[in-house]
Amino acid sequence: MSPPTAGPAPPPVLELDGVTFGYSDATVLRAVSLSVREGEFVAVVGPNGSGKTTLLRLSLGLLQPHRGKVRLFGIDAASFREWWRLGYVPQRAVASSPLPLSVEEVVRTGLAGRERSARRGKATSERLEHVIDLMGLSAVRRRRVSEVSGGQQQRALIARALVTAPRLLVLDEPTTGVDAAARAVLRESLEHLVGVEGMGVVYVSHDPGAFAGLADRVLEVEDGGLVDLAGSILPSVTRQTASAT
Amino acid sequence: MNPFEFAFMQKAFIACTLTAAVAPLVGSFIVQRGQSLVGDGMGHVAFAGVGLAFLVGAEPLVGALACSVLAGLLLVRMSRAGLAGDLAIALIFYGGIAFGYLLASRAGAGQTRLVGVLFGSPLNLSWGRVWVIAALAAAVVALTAALYPRLVALAFNEEAARVSGVATDRIVLALTLMVALVVVGGMSSIGLLLIAAMMVVPVAAAAQLASSYRGTLFTASAVGSFSAVTGLLVAHYLDYSPGSAIVLTAIAAYLVASGVGVSWRRVRVRDLAAPAPNG
Repeated sequence: MSPPTAGPAPPPVLELDGVTFGYSDATVLRAVSLSVREGEFVAVVGPNGSGKTTLLRLSLGLLQPHRGKVRLFGIDAASFREWWRLGYVPQRAVASSPLPLSVEEVVRTGLAGRERSARRGKATSERLEHVIDLMGLSAVRRRRVSEVSGGQQQRALIARALVTAPRLLVLDEPTTGVDAAARAVLRESLEHLVGVEGMGVVYVSHDPGAFAGLADRVLEVEDGGLVDLAGSILPSVTRQTASAT
Repeated sequence: MNPFEFAFMQKAFIACTLTAAVAPLVGSFIVQRGQSLVGDGMGHVAFAGVGLAFLVGAEPLVGALACSVLAGLLLVRMSRAGLAGDLAIALIFYGGIAFGYLLASRAGAGQTRLVGVLFGSPLNLSWGRVWVIAALAAAVVALTAALYPRLVALAFNEEAARVSGVATDRIVLALTLMVALVVVGGMSSIGLLLIAAMMVVPVAAAAQLASSYRGTLFTASAVGSFSAVTGLLVAHYLDYSPGSAIVLTAIAAYLVASGVGVSWRRVRVRDLAAPAPNG
């Protein structure tokens, strides 16, 4: 996905440096290192329970590593406060909502952490309109999100993540319960975000087919470590090869 | 006979309507977070504060507020430490009501007074108490308005809210405080054991009709107010217990809203499935 460039490599947006983490009964990740740059698409695969979601939560600063460092945009994740630079698409958060939220309200929740003035600013309103339009949600913005298609629900979550114009987008199993047509739209959107807008993407999935042809690197969480699959098990799913750091 | 002519009914209408209008504002967030019974539990714990206030001769409302806020803080801390399992919460909540009754009995509080606290006694309110209820309701409205985007984000998905920069720990604390304010505000009018119903039932009714979160809040508040007024009128004319009549009216409103909502959704699904006029 990364456009070929002759200049210096763009700065890393996410770095894991020798990260070890475990729960009370077991170590899940051991001395894992990873670096993701702007304009780079990194896919993380692995079976259920392998530690993908733990890796994702560590990357977002939701968990603190027992050893090692996590840095977002060069800042230690524990003291990172520039949340607008980070977009997160949680796994199937919409379908289980007991109360009605409109599609637009879901997208607006992405602005909740910003200052009041920023939430109401003209630029923010324009950005809101832009992402709703970009994700093809204009016609359904006032509909209950639980009543639109699975693909539209997923796009609402992505629009929510994009509304602050982040430079790193982290997606957790975004194609779960989504039909083939919606997957195609999701792929197009991600291609645009990485190729045109130069966003860094971390895409966590148990399904390698979901990002085939998009990923610069495919990493598998295996036995607590990260294994680079480029050119080995899944040669067809990567367009470029790069080693996991 | 016009019930609004009587001062005791005027006070009851004002107190119950204000309480029932603001309770669903807070309730919408706890329902969305899957914590519908938190208000019920908070009422149990507040009763311990009432019992303590009876024993030491303090104002019951102050005791209830202090106890429910402390219990709320304890629950938040336990939750963050991964200790707030069902059993731990049940121990705190049932311990609260048992301890409250023990203290109230020791203080020699009469059964009528205790029943009034548990199930409400809106016909016995002083104007001073009505003003306190109004102040608590105003505080709940102000907090809801000030924190609304962050409360919605928290209720939608706590982890996603945190990654968006919402200080989720503080917002959870604020929400817990808001539940305590509603419980204490509703103590005298609808009762500690029934006020939780007014946080949940109008929200459930509104969710059948509204198509947005904001719409749910306004509709739930309207359903709560309607239930309070209708329930009080029913109680006045049929000589029923006001708290029970209010909650049962809200449940009736929920049943009607469910029927309307199901029909409405069927029509919408049929409209969406129908082919466009020109193909």
